[in-house]
Amino acid sequence: MDLFNIYSYLSEETVRQIIRVLLIIVISIPVLLLLRGWARRFFTKKYASHYGMLAGKVVFYTGIILMIITVMGQLGISLAPLLAGAGIVGVALGFASQTSVSNIISGLFLIAEQPFKVDDIINVSGTIGIVMSIDVLSVKLRTFDNMFVRIPNETIIKTQVINLTRFPIRRFNAKVSVAYKEDIEKVREILMEVAEKNQYSLSEPEPQIIFEAFGTSSIDLDFRIWAPVDEWIFLKNTIQEEIKKRFDEEGIEIPFPHVSFYTGEASKPLPIELIQKTESTLSDNDQ
Amino acid sequence: MEHDIWGRRSLAEGQLEYMSIGDLHLWIKYRNEEVWISHAYKDELTRKPASDEPPKQVEWARWAHKNSSAEVTVSPVYPDKPLVVHSEFNLKVSPETRIQIFTRIPIWIRISLANNNYQLIELPAVKLSRTWFGTFTEGELCYHASTKARRDLSHVDKKSYLVSCPIRIVNKSEEELTFSNFCFRVERLSMYLHDNELWADETEIIYQGEDLHSEVIMTGKLPDGITKKQLLTKPRKKVHKSLATRTFKRFFKDTVLVDR
Repeated sequence: MDLFNIYSYLSEETVRQIIRVLLIIVISIPVLLLLRGWARRFFTKKYASHYGMLAGKVVFYTGIILMIITVMGQLGISLAPLLAGAGIVGVALGFASQTSVSNIISGLFLIAEQPFKVDDIINVSGTIGIVMSIDVLSVKLRTFDNMFVRIPNETIIKTQVINLTRFPIRRFNAKVSVAYKEDIEKVREILMEVAEKNQYSLSEPEPQIIFEAFGTSSIDLDFRIWAPVDEWIFLKNTIQEEIKKRFDEEGIEIPFPHVSFYTGEASKPLPIELIQKTESTLSDNDQ
Repeated sequence: MEHDIWGRRSLAEGQLEYMSIGDLHLWIKYRNEEVWISHAYKDELTRKPASDEPPKQVEWARWAHKNSSAEVTVSPVYPDKPLVVHSEFNLKVSPETRIQIFTRIPIWIRISLANNNYQLIELPAVKLSRTWFGTFTEGELCYHASTKARRDLSHVDKKSYLVSCPIRIVNKSEEELTFSNFCFRVERLSMYLHDNELWADETEIIYQGEDLHSEVIMTGKLPDGITKKQLLTKPRKKVHKSLATRTFKRFFKDTVLVDR
């Protein structure tokens, strides 16, 4: 027996079978990767990156399943007994991997329901980030301080998800407090002018000023301004600075929390009398 | 005269070209095979700028191009988004009535390389605020403008940064149309220069009722005395004969009522 002859161990037919299987795998995987890339690019360009991601996954996983079936055919493994056994194996696997299965099913629901898409900005239990991908087991986010967050699909299905970029316009609510002595009508005029001049605010829906409350130290107003959703953060950043600047120019007081003491008669301040220091008090202090 | 700015302009090496239209001040120069452009708006400047040197706070932008050319074309163009035009006074159009009004809207200035029309920059002559036309969940970003919706422009002062647009409104519905604001889609209009004034071809808006989209037709009809030879700028988008679109109706509810 020749030790170095492969046909001493395997029949010629088996070697051919192995070569065929290897060829199928070696050829189909790069082809599938190419097709996935093409589908992703095509659908991203034509529709949105969300659909690009979905198309890529559909192409890749369908191709992998077809490849496995072909390989099994080459190896002479029949699918029928496998499928019959799948029920029993499925039950066993199901018990063993409850969490993973739950995540996979949740992922399917997420794809069907579409509460968010790739590139949307979402808030999941206080974690805010841009959706990078919606995968079989989890959703991947990139936070604004550039951290990678993996959230299991099951968690997303169970928790409240806020999609910050679903609608094209978004409102910013600025809490504006002014002193009681200020003329509210004038304050309203100034705020509307600030909104009109701000480069990110929209003329319509019109900005609104809601008289929120008589606060402990101030009159509190809720100033509501709209911006395109992708410029909301710029609106937030600029308009408050502009309000402060205009209030300073117009002499409008933004009060800090304070307490006024009255001596019983409304609006009359507590009288304070300055007493001149006498020699005796001076000497007392000096001691 | 401001209207002289339209057309080709040769730039001498290192020499500064200055132009002003509306609220916009522009400086252009050609230096080291690059086109340099800087601009500023009236509200950004404390005093009238000098034509031979831009103010220090103004920044330059530079363009290097494979076919470097010292010739640029300056042309007027329509804004890059539709305009929501508010009428100063409401105009009520009775059923089965056809009227013509004129609205004047601020132009944009486009600077491109003369030899291959490569676009360098587009700037509005007057800064316009933006507005939303549609609902809270869908719609489009537009510019906000106002109009006197005049029936005749013969006694109105000429302004080089405004283009006069004739609009024919046809109320085909059985209800009265209150013309207070409308979405003016200018991207399919051409611009003509006549008697030092900029003019647009006619837009016809057929109102068919509050619940139906209005039909907007670019008739291509030119105002009296203007010919096709006076064409200055082609439309931004390919002209379709007509389009059905939301033009008059907006759907905003009072947010105070719906958002407590």
